Amino acid sequence: MSDPHNTTPTADDPHGMRKDLDSTGLLLVVFVAVLGLALANVGISMKMGPTKYTLVVQLAIASVQAGLVAYYFMHLRHGDKVVILTALSSLFWMAILFVLFLADYMTRFWVVG
Amino acid sequence: MANAHASPVLKHHFEDLGQQHACERLGMWMFLATEILFFGGLFAAYTIYRMLYPHEFEIASSFMNRQIATVNTVFLITSSLTMTLAIRCAKLGDRAGLIRNLILTVALGTAFMVMKGFEYAHEFHENLAPGKMFRTEYEKATKAVAGLAPAAADEYFKADAAKPEHERAHAHWAAELALKNKASADEVVDSGKVQMFLCFYFVMTGIHGIHIVVGLGLILWLVYEAATGGIPPENYSTVEVVSLYWHLVDAIWLFLMPLLYLAGAGMHH
Repeated sequence: MSDPHNTTPTADDPHGMRKDLDSTGLLLVVFVAVLGLALANVGISMKMGPTKYTLVVQLAIASVQAGLVAYYFMHLRHGDKVVILTALSSLFWMAILFVLFLADYMTRFWVVG
Repeated sequence: MANAHASPVLKHHFEDLGQQHACERLGMWMFLATEILFFGGLFAAYTIYRMLYPHEFEIASSFMNRQIATVNTVFLITSSLTMTLAIRCAKLGDRAGLIRNLILTVALGTAFMVMKGFEYAHEFHENLAPGKMFRTEYEKATKAVAGLAPAAADEYFKADAAKPEHERAHAHWAAELALKNKASADEVVDSGKVQMFLCFYFVMTGIHGIHIVVGLGLILWLVYEAATGGIPPENYSTVEVVSLYWHLVDAIWLFLMPLLYLAGAGMHH
């Protein structure tokens, strides 16, 4: 968590912009991880074929990838509280969307009696 | 609180650059929340139809071009890396590095769209698009093998598939679908439901593609700004907010890939 007002000016960085600078090494590690997971997703899907669990595995991998992208590439790890709250709110609203939709469609074909 | 050196980048209504950057990030994230919900509606609709027509969605997905999709995934993930490196260069005041990374990002995004274009062209060439094209192609294949025994129908399509592409009478997918429905009368694949999947495929990848094009425009604007000196280190956040949008479009692709291309992966053709 960073305080946006707390910047430390130095001679070659008069406005304190180098705080929270990503290291190239870290970015490369995240890149390799996301890429590796993408290829693993293709490989595992081809091997598994369509089974009951394929979709779960695929979405789990995609979620980890999206998490890495959001946390490192989209700088949520340096995020202010309000930015993190905004990001999480989108997931919260999406959850409402899915729950209400599915509560209807998953129960529509139930037979009473 | 206030910085020792005033910057021309600082707008008069902000206290300092830190506050200005925080506001810019927050504004972009609020927009992204609406984008996530926008795509969320499509994902929710897809979820329901996949739940209703699981078999048809898997079969339809198995006709998609996984090679192109995988290459495109690599392009997009790599473009996310170069975009993040561009922010780093902007913060360090490395203008050449900034422009280089932005242009690499544009090149990778353009490559994605070019591949997507080839993919769409191939699908239209094979009549693998919902509507009349699909119906005509499917009916042609069904009619061709209507009077044949299942084994003879199999032989007929094999012989057809062995011909050079421009001489083939049937698209690969139509032959397979016709064969499947001939072999099992009790478990018929509904061609209408297959087209439903294709609707999702074209709408979701189409809207995603439009987002890529918008992102490319924004990044080209950044290149112009960087080249004309508009992005000093204290204005790095301009690059950062565009990168947030670009990463979101990348992250959405990471979900489109398994839902559209991998649902039917590993099925035998």
